[in-house]
Amino acid sequence: MWRRLPNYQSLTEEEQALKQAPSLKVRFILSGIGIISIIAIIAINLVFNYSQRMADLSYDRLLRSALLQMDENVVLVRGEVSIDIPWSVFSTLAQANDDRIFYRVDSSENGFITGYKELSGEPPKPSKLGEVQFYNKTFSGEEIRVAWLERGLTEANSQGTIRILLAQTRLAREEMASSITTRALQVVVLIVFVTIALITFGSHFVLRPLHRIEDVLEARLPGDLTPITINTPKETHHLKVSINHFMARLQRNLEQLENYTAESAHQLRTPLTSLKALAENARDQTTPERQKEALEQIVLQSDKLSQTVTMLLNQAVVSHRLQTQDLIEIEMNSLVKQICMDLAVAALQQNIYLSFESSTERAIIFGDEFSLQQMLTNLIDNAIRYSRHVNDNETSKSVDIHVFQNNTFIGVKIVDYGVGISDDDKVKVFERFYRGQYEIAGSGVGLAMVKDIVDRHGGTVSILDTEPQGTTIEVLFPYGVHA
Amino acid sequence: MKSSIKELLLLLAVCLMKPHFAMGEIYEFGEPDSLNHLTLYSSVDIKILSPLIKHFIILNPDMSIQYEQMSTVGLYERVIAEKDHLKAGLVISSAMDLQLKLVNDGFAQRYQSVTTDELPAMATWRNQVFAFSLEPIVMVANRGLFPNSEFPTNRQELLQTIRKYSNDIKGRIGTYDVRKGGVGYLLASQDSRQANTTWGRLLEAFGSHKVRTYCCTNEIIDDIESGRIVLGYNLLGANAYQRVLNNPWLIMLIPSDYTLMLMRVALIPKNSKEAANGGLFLDYLLSEQGQKMMQTENLLYPIKEPTGKNVQSLNSSHPRRVIELDQQLLLGRDFAKQKRFIEEWEYALELNPELQ
Repeated sequence: MWRRLPNYQSLTEEEQALKQAPSLKVRFILSGIGIISIIAIIAINLVFNYSQRMADLSYDRLLRSALLQMDENVVLVRGEVSIDIPWSVFSTLAQANDDRIFYRVDSSENGFITGYKELSGEPPKPSKLGEVQFYNKTFSGEEIRVAWLERGLTEANSQGTIRILLAQTRLAREEMASSITTRALQVVVLIVFVTIALITFGSHFVLRPLHRIEDVLEARLPGDLTPITINTPKETHHLKVSINHFMARLQRNLEQLENYTAESAHQLRTPLTSLKALAENARDQTTPERQKEALEQIVLQSDKLSQTVTMLLNQAVVSHRLQTQDLIEIEMNSLVKQICMDLAVAALQQNIYLSFESSTERAIIFGDEFSLQQMLTNLIDNAIRYSRHVNDNETSKSVDIHVFQNNTFIGVKIVDYGVGISDDDKVKVFERFYRGQYEIAGSGVGLAMVKDIVDRHGGTVSILDTEPQGTTIEVLFPYGVHA
Repeated sequence: MKSSIKELLLLLAVCLMKPHFAMGEIYEFGEPDSLNHLTLYSSVDIKILSPLIKHFIILNPDMSIQYEQMSTVGLYERVIAEKDHLKAGLVISSAMDLQLKLVNDGFAQRYQSVTTDELPAMATWRNQVFAFSLEPIVMVANRGLFPNSEFPTNRQELLQTIRKYSNDIKGRIGTYDVRKGGVGYLLASQDSRQANTTWGRLLEAFGSHKVRTYCCTNEIIDDIESGRIVLGYNLLGANAYQRVLNNPWLIMLIPSDYTLMLMRVALIPKNSKEAANGGLFLDYLLSEQGQKMMQTENLLYPIKEPTGKNVQSLNSSHPRRVIELDQQLLLGRDFAKQKRFIEEWEYALELNPELQ
């Protein structure tokens, strides 16, 4: 009756499936690690740039102060511009322990004054008098940082400009930058590890309510379908409610199944008892005529029993199909017409005419063909049966079947002019095994199944009165859409 | 006739173009057909280093050493000139500033070994130049000929003595010629840096007393021994000490106002084919054995702190001014500064007739 669970062959297979299943915890941790890694990479990048800038900033200060000390000691010696570099310049620069020093002093009037002739070149930015500029270049096989200054001479009797270049290699800078970077890297790595640890712990904590629900369900007795009552966080509330709903449905289905089984057994027992009685009766008859009459009755009773069993079987098949089959496109006109044709002969034997009429050309719905067949057969068969019990032999008896369509629905109307159904019964007829008038043959399974089938197709079924007497059953299906 | 003049001119041009360094004196150690060979360029007196070299060859019998002794400036210029096809595996000099400039200008290569790692930080720069000795800069006097019975123990007393015995001392003081020797210039510039006023007065006194100038410590001491002069100023302590030990008439005076401390430093030139052997000899100089030998044989003042009592150990109450082995030495060799310093020196000593 229910869609079956995939049937695990053994425990190892289940473990295998568990192993292959994605893990929430792993996903949570992995995405956490991903994000923290991206942040860490950005941070490391920033730290690299920052440490380089910091190192250049502090050592540029050193270089600038040394350069300005040189600049202060530009002197005129016998009318020629010269420079008397103070010792302090080099002791300042010697703070960068292992860095080589290069310098060059020129004047626009006299050209090269002192220093390294090979050290030359203009700064990359346009030079501005009196402004110290810093830039990197390669000199004597090493990266150097150059401080560059050109200024107008202010000494009396002197013209033109003096240009001072002072450079040092970058060892101390690199060392400082790398020590800052190392320190920052240590911090970043520490943060990353702490964060990962927190994420791991947090994932455990976050997923704990799920485990609790799991534990509660595991601990239950097999037949216990009462709602879960433990307190869980908001995020798992819906899960809990869904589980509870699901269990309630399960409970209902189980109850139905129990009823159905009991009723089915009951239904089969009554005809069997009657069969037995008939058989005994037949055995005790003495004349062959009587015996034959009794045997006829047994055959009749067997047919009824067979009908009942067929109906029960059909009901089981339909139930299963309703649970498992996908709905496909079905044209209602041809389906209804075919069923009418199948039943027409049998009806005529009972002096009842079936009439089929359609007010639409194509009536497409999505449905399961077998279930719909069963449903229509039942409804029409019922209508025929009820018509037969009208004790008015004068009027011609008929059952009208009408397929129609409006904007949203495809409808099938089955109209009989039989005894009709009282308003009280109209509500009850859809219950399983309810039969309004006991003397009318039939298993009574029919209408309950009809209701199930209509529900499955997303439609409605209603029982109306036919004027002047009789019953009209109207089934409406949504027009060509999936239920 | 014409062509011969041309040839002569050509020859002259070739001669002028060719760098003509004083090749210096060459000494050979070890078996000439040894497996390994090492050429040393050095400004250090062969007498000081030969016991060490001999000991080194005993320890490394498959090594032969060629020792070329030359002046500090000659050595500096030779390393630069031979930068692409260098002969020497190790360059040893007491002109710290010239050695440091070689390193700064990229003519030395890095060297690192267990032995160099044990050196105090002050004794090396960039792992490219290494000090193996640290010696005081001293004065030497002739006991017999010095006019005063009391010897000057510092620069003030020296000035007083010069003034007091002006006539006896005139023309009888000797010091380095800062134009010739690399060490002379280094010591003078350090003096002017340490105590500019005293230096100025000293220079003035030297000038007015016709100081004699020399290229090397040994020549000054030669003249003190022979009596041509009575006092030498700014002499290398190791050389002086060796001479004083052998001649009781000589006395070594360590200035008590401040004592300049000079390192003798070695470097392995870039592109040297004998760099590995040079490193081996450097390791020997810095090794326990080498350092101990400098001390016990009275060759040099070892760079590593001497252990135990020793005749050479200095009076620790004297302020020591160690000439630092770092970038500051470069400034002494600044073209403009050097030119000015030498001009002032020549002017003070009345050696430059143009400026008289």
